Amino acid sequence: MVVNCFNMATACTGRGLSFLRSLTRHVRGTALSGRPPAGLHTSAALEVNKNWERRNLQLYPPQLPGEPRRAAEVHHCRRQIKYSKDKMWYLAKMIRGLSIDQAITQLEFNDKKGAKIVKEVLLEAQDMAVKNHNVEYKSNLYIAESHSGKGKYLKRIRYHGRGMFGIMDKVYCHYFVKLVEGPPPAVEPRTGLDQAQEYLLGLRRRTVRHSL
Amino acid sequence: MMSLAGLLHSLRRSLLHLEGKLLQSAGFDGHLTPALALNGPRLQVQPQQDEHLDEEQQSPEQAPSILDNIMWMAAPKKRRSIEINRTRRRAVEKLIKVKDNVVPCLECGHLKQKHVLCGFCYEKVRRETSLIRIQINAQEGGPLKAPATETVVLYEGEMPGDQDQDKRIVERARKRPTWFT
Repeated sequence: MVVNCFNMATACTGRGLSFLRSLTRHVRGTALSGRPPAGLHTSAALEVNKNWERRNLQLYPPQLPGEPRRAAEVHHCRRQIKYSKDKMWYLAKMIRGLSIDQAITQLEFNDKKGAKIVKEVLLEAQDMAVKNHNVEYKSNLYIAESHSGKGKYLKRIRYHGRGMFGIMDKVYCHYFVKLVEGPPPAVEPRTGLDQAQEYLLGLRRRTVRHSL
Repeated sequence: MMSLAGLLHSLRRSLLHLEGKLLQSAGFDGHLTPALALNGPRLQVQPQQDEHLDEEQQSPEQAPSILDNIMWMAAPKKRRSIEINRTRRRAVEKLIKVKDNVVPCLECGHLKQKHVLCGFCYEKVRRETSLIRIQINAQEGGPLKAPATETVVLYEGEMPGDQDQDKRIVERARKRPTWFT
C-alpha cells in the first residue's frame, strides 16, 4: 500500500522512479519475497510454512580467534509424505541422538515404509552438509533433532452399511531432521531409581509459603 | 410356471414388508438417507410412544430386536485425554528397538544381519542366475523341454571336463565370476 502511494505521487519524475526501484530492490532482497504480499488474503489451505528450510539460510558473524569452533548444522525435511505422522514418529524417535551411520544402518534393516523415506532424507542431508555446509567428514555427523509433523490431508468418503457414511482422511506427513557436526553426545542412562530419587529431591526442595 | 412367478412375487413383497418393519423399529422414516454413523442410543423419538403413554404399562412388551440391544453394548464412558494416549503410544515396549546384530559382510563389505544372507551378494548371484536361465530357455526353445540330464555352466575359455560328458552344457559369454566355484 505504501508502494502504491509513492507510485501515484512520483511516477512522473525520474528521481521518484529511481527511489521506487531502490525500494523494490530492497524488498526483493529480503526473505519475505517468497510470501504473498501482506495485503493479499489467501485461504488457510494454500498457506504452507517453509520455516525449517529457512533455518539453513541463517548466517552467523565470523568467529573471533579465541572462540570455540561453532559446530556446523544442516536442517533438512521432506514434505507431504504419504504416511501417517504417528507411525513416522516411531522412526524419528528411534534415530534421535544416533550418529548418521548408525541411523542409516538401523533404517536399512527396518521393515517399515517410512524407514526407506527417512533413510533417503538422511542421505540427502549428509550430501548437503558435505557440499554446502562446510562439513569435512560425512561420518562426523549426528542427529540432533528429528521429528514428524502433520501434512495436508485429503478427505474421502468411506461407505458403511445402511446408507451410512464416514469421512476418511488420506494422511500425509512431513519429516524434519537436523544434523550437527561432531560425535554424538554421550547420554547417561536414567534408571528408575534415579527418577525416583529426583522426585524425592523435588519434594524436599519445596518451601511452604506464609507459614508460621 | 405362472404359479412359480406368483410365488416369487409374493415372497419378494413379504421380504420388502419385513425390511420396512425392521427400518420402522430402528427409527428410520422408511427412507434411507445418508447420515453419520454414530454409536449410541436411538436419537429419534418413536411417534407411537407419544400417543400411547397411558397404555404403555398395559400393552404387552414387544420382543427386543437386535437393534434394541445397542443399549447394552460396550462404549467408552469418557474421552481419553492426550496424556493417557501418549503414555500408551510411547510406552517402551511400543518403541522400535535398536538392532545390535548388524555386521559387515566379509565378501562385499555391505552391512548384513548376522542370521541373514547379505543382500548385495544375494542380488549379484540372482542376476547371474537369471542370465543363465535366459540362456537355458533359449537353448530349450519352449516349455517342458528340459532334458533328463544334469546341467553344467561353462564360461569363456572353459572346456567340459571328464565328469561333464553326460551333462547338458550351458555356455555364458563372459569370464567366470570369482564367487562361482
